[in-house]
Amino acid sequence: MASFVRTLTTASLLPAAVAVTALSHSSLFPSFRFPVKSDLPLPGSLLSASALRSFEAVSNPFRANAALHMESVAVDAKPYDEQTGVLPELMTEFMVDMTCEGCVSAVKNNMLKLDGVSGVDVDLSNQVVRVIGSVRVKTMLETLEQTGRNARLIGQGNPNDFLVSSAVAEFKGPKIFGVVRLAQVNMELSRIEASFSGLSPGKHGWSINEYGDLTRGAASTGKTFNPANNLSEDKALGDLGTLEAAENGEAHFSGSKEKLRVSDLIGRSIVVYEKEDKSDSGIAAAVIARSAGVGENYKKICTCDGVTIWEST
Amino acid sequence: MASVPAAANAIMAAKPSCSPLLPLSPSSCPFSSALSGQPLRLQSRRFAAAVMPRRMTVVFAKKKAVAVLKGNSKVEGVVTLVQEDDGPTTVNVRVTGLTPGSHGFHLHEFGDTTNGCISTGAHFNPNSLTHGAPEDEVRHAGDLGNIVANDEGIAEATIVDNQIPLEGPNSVVGRAFVVHELEDDLGKGGHELSLTTGNAGGRLACGVVGLMPLQ
Repeated sequence: MASFVRTLTTASLLPAAVAVTALSHSSLFPSFRFPVKSDLPLPGSLLSASALRSFEAVSNPFRANAALHMESVAVDAKPYDEQTGVLPELMTEFMVDMTCEGCVSAVKNNMLKLDGVSGVDVDLSNQVVRVIGSVRVKTMLETLEQTGRNARLIGQGNPNDFLVSSAVAEFKGPKIFGVVRLAQVNMELSRIEASFSGLSPGKHGWSINEYGDLTRGAASTGKTFNPANNLSEDKALGDLGTLEAAENGEAHFSGSKEKLRVSDLIGRSIVVYEKEDKSDSGIAAAVIARSAGVGENYKKICTCDGVTIWEST
Repeated sequence: MASVPAAANAIMAAKPSCSPLLPLSPSSCPFSSALSGQPLRLQSRRFAAAVMPRRMTVVFAKKKAVAVLKGNSKVEGVVTLVQEDDGPTTVNVRVTGLTPGSHGFHLHEFGDTTNGCISTGAHFNPNSLTHGAPEDEVRHAGDLGNIVANDEGIAEATIVDNQIPLEGPNSVVGRAFVVHELEDDLGKGGHELSLTTGNAGGRLACGVVGLMPLQ
C-alpha cells in the first residue's frame, strides 16, 4: 500500500507541475483551474486518479477520448482481437521521409482511413507524423510505407506526461529476434506490442522478470516481476501469458495490461521461454530500456558515424 | 489537433538548462520563478523532494546495475555499476575484441537501439551542457571519456563518477552504454563534432543498463 501511495504521489506531482507550466507559458489549457500549491510535498490524496483524469479530459481532447474509452474496457493482459477488440488510444510519432505538401495529404488521407485512428498531425519541416489512435504499430508502419515512403517509429506516449511513458526491449539474436514496446496509456494501464522471429512453432511462455542482468542470459534475470501491491494476486503482475509462434517462427502480440506501470519496469527484462511452462529458465531475454516519448527525439542522423535514420538498422 | 504539437514543443522547451543537483555551475542557474521560465528546474526539485522520503525508508542503500555490451562486430563486454547511498557510482568496464588504443565510451539518453544510434538519442545530458571530459565541469553526464584497449584488444577500466546515479530522475538505469570506434577528443579537438560527440566515430557495441540483484 505504501508503495502505491508513493507512486501515486510522484505521478500526481508531475502533471500538476506541467499544468502550472502550461498556464504560465501559454494559453494552451485556458479552462484548466486545478487547485495546485506550488510548494511540496503535496499529499497524494489531493490529486486522486479521477481528478487527474478529469484534468486530462480538459487539457487534451485526445486524452479525453482515451479516458472515456478506457472506462468501458476492462482488460487484463488481454490480447488485441482483430475483430472486436480495441487497443487503448495512444499517440505514436513516426519520422516519415516526406518532402512535399503532396506527401502530407497522401500520408494524412491514408492514415485517416485506418479504423481506429482518431487524429493525424503532420509536421513537414521535421518530417514527423503524429497519430492518435488504437491501431497497432505494425499496421500503422505498413500503411505509412504503402504511400511509398520510409517510416520509422520515433516516439510513443502522452505529450502531457513527464513520467517515463514508453519503453522498448530488443531481442538481438543470434537465434531469436524481437521487439517489445511498452507504453503507459494512463495510470492504470499499459499497452504492450511485441513481434518475434526465430521461435520454434507453438506455444511459448513470456514474462517480465525482475532484473535486467543478462550476464548469464535469461538465467540471471531473477523471478517474474511482481510488485509489493500485487502479492495477494494469484498471478504475478509480470506474467504475460503465452505467445503463439506460427510455422515460420514468428509471433505477434498486441494488448494491454492493467496495473502495469512502465516506469517501474525500466531496467528489468522481458524473457521468452521454450515452453508454455516457465519453470525452466528462459531461452531469450532483453533489458527493458527507456525509449523516447512524443517530441523527445527528432534525431535524424547519427553524428558519430553519419548514418541517417533511413539507413539505420 | 493544433494543441498537440504545441504540447510537444512545450516538452522539448522544458529540457533543463541547469540543475539544482549540480552545484558546480551556479552561474547557469539564475533564480527564476515558474512563471517566467525554467519550468523544469522547479520540477526536478519537486521530483527530488518526492523521491527523498523513499530513500530514507530503503533498507539496502546499495544499488547495483549491469549492462552487457554487444555489437555487430566481435566487440563485447560487461559494465557493472554500484552506488552506495547518494555517493558516486563506481563503474567497472571490461570490453574485448577492440583495436588497441582509445575508444570513446558514452552513456546515451535512451536505451532504444531499434533504429541504431539514432533511437538512443544524444549523450545523456540532463543539464544541457556541451561535450567534455569526465573530469570537466562542463560535460554531458554521459561523457565517460575513453577506455583504452591493450595489445590483446581488451579494455579494463574503473570509473568513479558523480553524475550517473542509479536512482531518481537522472538514473542511468534503462539507458545505453556505447563503445565507439575512435578516441573521444573530450571536446577539445577543434572538430565541428568535438563539442557534441567528441568526434568518436561509429559505434562498435552497446548495451542497456539493467537492474541487478543486491547480494
